[in-house]
Amino acid sequence: MITADITLVGSPGGAGDRVGAGGRVGDFPAEVDRTQPALSPTRTGPTLPHAQEPHMDQAGTHRGSGTGFAPPVGESAIEAHGLGKQYRRGWALRDVSFRLPAGRVCGLVGPNGAGKSTLMGLATNMIRPTTGGLRVFGAVPGSTESVPRTAFLTQEKPLFRRFTVAETLRLGRELNPQWDQEVAEGIVDAGRVPLKAKIGTLSGGQRTRVAFALAFGKRPDLLILDEPMSDLDPLVRRELMATLTAEAAQHGTTVLVSSHMLAELEFICDYLLVIANGGLRLAGEVNELRAAHALLDIPGGGPFPAVAPHTVIEAHRAEGRPGALVRLGAPITSGEGATPPTLEELLLAYLRSPDAPSLIAPSARVGDIHDITRDRQKAVTA
Amino acid sequence: MTTLTHDPAHTAPAGRPQNAPGSRQAGPRLGGTAWLVWRQHRAAFWTLIALTVLCVVVMVFLRGQVVDYLDARPQKSGGLPPDFEQYTSRLSSFGGYLGFVPLLTGVLLGAPLIAGDLESGTAKLVTSQSVSRLRWLTMKLAMPAALIALSTAVLAAVFDWWWSPVKGRADTLEWTSGAFFDVTWVMPVAYALLTFAVGAAVGMLLRRTLVSMVVTLGVVVAIEVVWDRFRLSLGHIMSVGTDKGVGPGAARPELPAGAVQQGQGTYFLTSSGARLDWTACLDKVDNDRAHTACLESKHVIGWSMDYLPISQMHTMQWLGAGIMLAVAAAIVTFIIVWGRKRLL
Repeated sequence: MITADITLVGSPGGAGDRVGAGGRVGDFPAEVDRTQPALSPTRTGPTLPHAQEPHMDQAGTHRGSGTGFAPPVGESAIEAHGLGKQYRRGWALRDVSFRLPAGRVCGLVGPNGAGKSTLMGLATNMIRPTTGGLRVFGAVPGSTESVPRTAFLTQEKPLFRRFTVAETLRLGRELNPQWDQEVAEGIVDAGRVPLKAKIGTLSGGQRTRVAFALAFGKRPDLLILDEPMSDLDPLVRRELMATLTAEAAQHGTTVLVSSHMLAELEFICDYLLVIANGGLRLAGEVNELRAAHALLDIPGGGPFPAVAPHTVIEAHRAEGRPGALVRLGAPITSGEGATPPTLEELLLAYLRSPDAPSLIAPSARVGDIHDITRDRQKAVTA
Repeated sequence: MTTLTHDPAHTAPAGRPQNAPGSRQAGPRLGGTAWLVWRQHRAAFWTLIALTVLCVVVMVFLRGQVVDYLDARPQKSGGLPPDFEQYTSRLSSFGGYLGFVPLLTGVLLGAPLIAGDLESGTAKLVTSQSVSRLRWLTMKLAMPAALIALSTAVLAAVFDWWWSPVKGRADTLEWTSGAFFDVTWVMPVAYALLTFAVGAAVGMLLRRTLVSMVVTLGVVVAIEVVWDRFRLSLGHIMSVGTDKGVGPGAARPELPAGAVQQGQGTYFLTSSGARLDWTACLDKVDNDRAHTACLESKHVIGWSMDYLPISQMHTMQWLGAGIMLAVAAAIVTFIIVWGRKRLL
């Protein structure tokens, strides 16, 4: 239902055409270029989600050297179909369908209790869905194909308190066939966490660092991080985020990270999922989502003017300049006083307006197997 | 520089020459889930091993005392020296203490086993590694179960060895009591494994360590009560009778050595083979003649007694252990089936 035909703008590919054709909106990619790769100079650009939409990727995302680690076109790290989870107190997630293309760093954003942790638990077989299903690299969560490829850092970051740091890393070594001791020790050493210290004696931040080391050392193809940064100081947070992006870029790891630090997500994410009230509100590449919205200046008071053909997501009149964040329904002409929203502004608008119509970009839409094969064929023949 | 995702040079965990600082402690060389389970529960395992060794040392010492005493006083016609009582009472009270072993394994080893991991969240930590839930759960149950089986088997064997010199001599030691029946042969192994499985299942369902321990305590006590009532029905009760009358001079039936009398005392045996309760004609017992007439009118020809011979002990223990192991296996199957699907 949420994914029901609310196309980005008209037909697939149309959004890119219009954004490209628009006057000021055409400037957005430059802005993206400046902010996004700040922490990730080595990040391999995301691959084309759909071969027929090359304009989407003009936003400077091809900066990476394209060293060939990118997964094949069309592979999904996560694919959810009509996913729902009902607890005793009600639905935590309801009828969520999306796909996360492999190789992306995806931010998962939503208010508290929106279903973020539930979604992550579903992807790692900690929770079983009530309705629908979810696949990790095409395999059922919890299966022998998906478990070694997925690492999950839960919000509580549980560790054995009586183990030493070295023993905790040994746990990772003993239980993971692809364990990378160098990566894990590197992360621990960078924080000067003594290997002989018991986990119970470490500070919260140090413990988080060890939990990170355990997740990275597994060398997963899909890394799921639930509020990973909440108890870290700003310096450590930046350092670990840099590690995250560097590792992800080097190994083509897909990352799904939930966070309330909206500004920081902008540094690491090139993909976005927004959940509110158990439903998916936004899904797609950061660039295409930003390009599909604009902040319109609407001076003066009085009744809110019609902004057709755009859809108002949130009208903010009190704070800062009066105006509205709109989803574009047509190219913007230069006279309209429109500026591109930052990721934070975009997210805040959607978090404040949980009833706004949802927007699922083409690359995040699930198709049946025919869609995937058809895309591949097109990619080959194009 | 590029690094492949599965660079073999980076992923050779076994080949690391340096030993992790945590692994210097004494203990078996283990890998994979076995290492994890040993490391996580090593304090409990070492305690179990130490207590077993301590009990064995004490029993060997006490047996030495019994043997010395018996050697100094050679047996005369089946009777025992009067002050021998102190040795037999030590034996039966020690057997009583060993009877608490199943309670301890259930409450202290079984209940916290899975509940601890669920409570602290470490179950999520382990299941998000590459190892399957099934393997982890199996190892988690198998390693403590193996240690429990080993230690209870050793305790049972040593206790049996201590008991053997006086087994046929002391009529005061009833082998049907829990202090002997439950702590020898295969019984303690099966009993302890059953309570361990019960504790683990309770812990998995309740997910809180302390609550699980309390509930397990209650369940194990309930099992104990049921088992105490049920134990003797595993045997096949034998009867021994006389046909020389029931007068004052008539001989009472004699039980074989090591047999334990069952039923309500001694019965009257009638000529038809039926048995009468010893209270028959009790109201006429003041008058010898009336009493005799009463008994004769009922065709009483002698006494009869029920007993369980000690030769049945091992059969009964096998039966009881088999039942307990079957229940334990059912519980373990439940833990694994449930745990695979709904552990977290």
